[in-house]
Amino acid sequence: MNEQHVVIAEESYTTTSDAERAAQLAKVWAEPSGFLGWFKAVHHTTIGKRYMVTAFGFFLAAGLLAGAMRLQLAFPEAHIMSPDLYNQVFTMHGSVMMFLFAVPMMFEALSVYFVPLMVGTRNIAFPRLNAFSYYLFLFAGLMLFAFFFVNSGPDRGWFSYVPLSGPDYAPGKRADIWAQLITFTEISGLCVAVEVIVTVFKLRAPGMSLNRIPIFVWGEVVTSFMVIFAMPGVVVASTMLLLDRTASTQFFNPAVGGDVLLFQHLFWWFGHPEVYIIFIPGTAIVSTIAATFSRRHVFGYMALVLSLIATGFIAFGLWVHHMFATGIPQMSEGFFTAASMMIAIPAGTQIFCWLATILTGKVVLKTPMWWVLGFFFVFIIGGMTGIFVASVPVDLQVHDTYFVVAHFHYVLIGGAVFPMFGAFAYWFPKLTGRMLSEMLGLWSFWLFTIGFNITFFPMHILGLRGMPRRVYTYPADAGWTALNQIESVGYIFLFLGVAVFLYNVWHSLRRGEMAPANPWQAGGLEWATASPPATYNFLNMPTVNGSEPLWDALPDQPVVSGMHEDVREIVTTRILDAEPEGRDEMPGPTAWPFIAAVVTTALFIGSIFRPIAVSIGAIPLAIALIGWFWPTREESQRRARRNIWEQS
Amino acid sequence: MSFRSREFFAFALLVSLCACKREQRIFDPGSAASQPAGATPLTEVGAGTSPPPGNRPNAIAESAYAVGEGKRLYQAYNCVGCHANGGGAIGPALMDSEWIYGSSLEQIHSTIVQGRPNGMPSFAGKIPDYQVWEIAAYVRSMSGQLPSDVAPSRSDHMPMVVPEQSRPKEHPGAEHPQPVITEPQR
Ligand code: HEM
Ligand SMILES: [Cu+2]
Repeated sequence: MNEQHVVIAEESYTTTSDAERAAQLAKVWAEPSGFLGWFKAVHHTTIGKRYMVTAFGFFLAAGLLAGAMRLQLAFPEAHIMSPDLYNQVFTMHGSVMMFLFAVPMMFEALSVYFVPLMVGTRNIAFPRLNAFSYYLFLFAGLMLFAFFFVNSGPDRGWFSYVPLSGPDYAPGKRADIWAQLITFTEISGLCVAVEVIVTVFKLRAPGMSLNRIPIFVWGEVVTSFMVIFAMPGVVVASTMLLLDRTASTQFFNPAVGGDVLLFQHLFWWFGHPEVYIIFIPGTAIVSTIAATFSRRHVFGYMALVLSLIATGFIAFGLWVHHMFATGIPQMSEGFFTAASMMIAIPAGTQIFCWLATILTGKVVLKTPMWWVLGFFFVFIIGGMTGIFVASVPVDLQVHDTYFVVAHFHYVLIGGAVFPMFGAFAYWFPKLTGRMLSEMLGLWSFWLFTIGFNITFFPMHILGLRGMPRRVYTYPADAGWTALNQIESVGYIFLFLGVAVFLYNVWHSLRRGEMAPANPWQAGGLEWATASPPATYNFLNMPTVNGSEPLWDALPDQPVVSGMHEDVREIVTTRILDAEPEGRDEMPGPTAWPFIAAVVTTALFIGSIFRPIAVSIGAIPLAIALIGWFWPTREESQRRARRNIWEQS
Repeated sequence: MSFRSREFFAFALLVSLCACKREQRIFDPGSAASQPAGATPLTEVGAGTSPPPGNRPNAIAESAYAVGEGKRLYQAYNCVGCHANGGGAIGPALMDSEWIYGSSLEQIHSTIVQGRPNGMPSFAGKIPDYQVWEIAAYVRSMSGQLPSDVAPSRSDHMPMVVPEQSRPKEHPGAEHPQPVITEPQR
């Protein structure tokens, strides 16, 4: 590794003109302050941090719901919760974990914060859309919990199958609330997908050609494309469900030619890619951390990128393996088993690349690296049981038992939560300018890992012994008591692991050691700027000479010059080779996205009760959008001046 | 507590009360209400007396779950055989604003339990009491008497009629109680 780093922005500026420029940029890119300023913020680091804190809050809330379930299941024939409440609790737990924690954290939060930094630009593309997406996500969660507290939490499982969630078997509003939760979160995911794709394809630093894009950014780009192709499936499914329930359409009514399996197809068309949407960012984090802490470029960059892309494609050919028990033809069962096994090829490629990176590097075992090792262990076990359930005969035995609950917690917690904690340990200095404690980090790692395995490993055995999932209690003589009690004790360890992590964060924020710009001597561009980054990200917009820009930099690596620094200007580059192409101006702070999100929320919640709310709500929404896009005079004049072609 | 926050809490409480009722599910298989409904004594002046204590007619009438169950039970106990899907056939229509024996929940409950002249049988001792209440609540929803977020939506059958949820609210007109003359109960 090249020990010499280009310093692109620093707290201590070498010349007075640098200090003046920094002050000027800080003024131009300032985030509005004060109470009202909160609603106007548009910088990706501000919104990204809000995303992280909010998504983590939902993780904690859903984790507490899991604790309630573990308490209820710790004793046979317990009546701590009523069956009705238990239905709501497991549905809330699953839906919150999937829609309000895993996807928003692994995709939205991390990519909003890090992608612009890693590609070396000053803000995410479409920053106002970004703010809008955050508010929608926040309101989705607030709505869900508000309804839960008034006994209207969804209670038909996180995939709310019809006919059970249809108008005939789910009277009341609980299933409608689930359906609108989906619409909210998917719209916010789609917004971020568009922003990430445009940021990566048009706003990369000069020199960052396609084969030099950091792996993490590749992961988020592949994820964005998957979001764009997968999420419409579930939005359509949940909207059709809502229409069936409130407007008496017949999409899922077999008596008049509707189809209940259609719901499952649409749902899993989204649902299977969803799990890859959750763990592709996770694997990309693992590649990043493994490279930094092995002190070498990641082994097989090209193979890794291609496996990410291949995973993205194959993920769309597997959805039917969730429907093996619905009586589909054997031919399709065979096809989808084979397709499911095929995913092992890119997954295996990645695992071997990581092993090669670690085995041939000089490994530094810091907390982030421990989380990566934990990820290997847990995720590989989850992958193995995945092969079990991908084979039809086994699946028919274990379908809807605790074996499946064990399997998907191994892949989801392995694929999302372990990398997430690794990512926090790794990037926390960048986010906050403070170091986390190593010792507390190791405590939380070991507590969490041990607790995780105590909680979830016995579920495999329980499932094989026939304990069905989604039961609120079980008879004392079923032989399931001991294992359930062990699992519930494991939850205590999990809880302590997360608690130690939270204490570590709290402690570090108050009196943690100050972090330098690049505490791990890593190679990514995000480490080239101060910790935490200023609102203009980089004093000098960087250029790039390799896939680890700081390691590969020339001794006199050039920076971009000639930018207007009195407006929010950025460089645009070409898609393939990232040659500079032009300049563009980023929009500034405004409260309109917040207002638009409030109106959209009212419209969505209204539509749960009266379909007409969509038509009525469209009017204030149109007003909000007009306000949002209303051009300001100076900005249009500047644009016109820049546009040399139209002038001549 | 400041004035504002007091108002806010009052509002929150109000919201929670409405929602609670709509989503309330009553699972109490051991209670009196789950015993078959007995007929209450008739009088010569009105259509039945007040219901036996221990029932929660309001909770039932405002619970979407109970009304939804009522809708299925209406089919299951073959109310549909005489009253069709509310339009009436052998028995009178239930989806209009004409009520011979009263439109209140208690009156409908009595009608089901006691039976009525000209062909309405008594279901006393045949249907658990809580189910009678559920059916009664459903019957009221047929003429749009319940809030539309409590009234059932379409069912997974051939659509015969407009779902209860989307029906216009009928306002029960003046009721014409017919004299009911029975032997005094012993
Ligand atoms: C904090 C640790 C966790 C514990 C102790 C836990 C425990 C449980 C339990 C006991 C169930 C219900 C099983 C049943 O009644 O059938 C469940 C279901 C579920 N969990 Fe977790 N879980 C945890 C974390 C997570 C995470 C991180 C995710 C996703 C990222 C997740 C996703 C799900 C899903 C999707 C379901 C299925 C819900 C349904 O059946 O509709 N869980 N979990
Ligand atoms: Cu799948």
